[in-house]
Amino acid sequence: MITDMTIPTEELKLEIKNLIMSTLAIEGINPADVDNDQPLFGGSNALTLDSVDAIEIIMAIQRTYGIRIADQSLARQVISSINTIALFITEQRQNPTT
Amino acid sequence: MIIQNFNHKMAAHCESGTITSLLNHGGLNITEPLVFGIASGIFFGYFHKMKSFAFPTFIVRNKPGQMRTNIEKRLGVKFQTYDFNNPAKGQQTLDQLLDRNIPTAAQVDFFYMDYVPSWERVHINVHFLAVIGREDNKYIISDAYFPKVVELDAASLEKGRFAGGNMSPKGFIFHLDKLPSDIDYNTAIIKGIKKACFYMLKIPIPFLGIRGMRMFARKVTEWPKFARDTEHLSHEIMKINILLEDQGTGGAGFRFMYATFLQQAADMVGKPGLKELSGELMKIGDGWREISLFSARIGKNRDLGPDKLKQLSEMIYDRADVEERFFKSLSQAIK
Repeated sequence: MITDMTIPTEELKLEIKNLIMSTLAIEGINPADVDNDQPLFGGSNALTLDSVDAIEIIMAIQRTYGIRIADQSLARQVISSINTIALFITEQRQNPTT
Repeated sequence: MIIQNFNHKMAAHCESGTITSLLNHGGLNITEPLVFGIASGIFFGYFHKMKSFAFPTFIVRNKPGQMRTNIEKRLGVKFQTYDFNNPAKGQQTLDQLLDRNIPTAAQVDFFYMDYVPSWERVHINVHFLAVIGREDNKYIISDAYFPKVVELDAASLEKGRFAGGNMSPKGFIFHLDKLPSDIDYNTAIIKGIKKACFYMLKIPIPFLGIRGMRMFARKVTEWPKFARDTEHLSHEIMKINILLEDQGTGGAGFRFMYATFLQQAADMVGKPGLKELSGELMKIGDGWREISLFSARIGKNRDLGPDKLKQLSEMIYDRADVEERFFKSLSQAIK
């Protein structure tokens, strides 16, 4: 069930965009131009990332939020967009499973 | 037609996930990490010069097919297997099994599974999935790497099942044949762990287990002499990340999945010490992830000087040391 507590905040989404951009040393892109819902990989988002970037993001999430995304099939879903990352972090803060 | 009550689930790894789905459908309540652990799936092997590989490489799990045979031995289940030289005969047999409502696992070349986005598809001849129905010229597929049940053209499935090359599937299929009336999980788990410890600590082959890990650490600094140029070397170094993280390993070269197995097994065999070891292996896995990250980074940046390869080598030596201690502790914990 989605409650207010499990709805990711806009602040968190912005934080995630900044985390990705600093982790991958991406410059010259305004975080506001990064669509929250568009795929980060293989898509047409302002941030177009490749599979090598995925491990960077997974590790950055673990270091920043203390959340280990162990399962790779889960990881593919979690890091598919800013919204999915934000939702995962919000849910994990409520009910940690990793 | 589609086989009713087949519960599609995503899994960390295609072979253990597919075996788990077939067992679950047959009525056995077992998780993927338990299947992986009981089958002694965790492993390490380094191949510096072998005819089958164009470049040095390594593996982090036992060989394809061994998970199925180990599960048969340890749980007492029976899978019926088939392989074919003739694609028409292969399709006919598959159709007959589906018509009898039998979910059937198939070995395929992943590249032809066109429900997967093209940028994710690579040629791997040892991908496993479950075929759970057919309609007109399409098959209904439960692929543990894909979030939902999908359709696949008969022609694509045939291309996948009869792809050529190394470890060609030869139309290989299998299905659950028999479940025993009673399963001794305690014995199965202990045997699975003992064998994994043997593979990692005592197998008398210098390129396997912990010794293989140390060989990898020693030899990775020699990789530049096998590479055509920097591009080739960077591709091969980045492949370390793919082999550890991307090819259905459950993360960190199966270390996280094995840790989950130990967590689940602890209560089943009444050995709470396995829970502590599970936590330890999670941390060991984090170290493998650091290797994935480091390899991806130096490969992508073409930063492949001797100092970086030496650093990579030291990180692998460190994993060998901690895994040797870990598997010795695990071996003691199940005595």
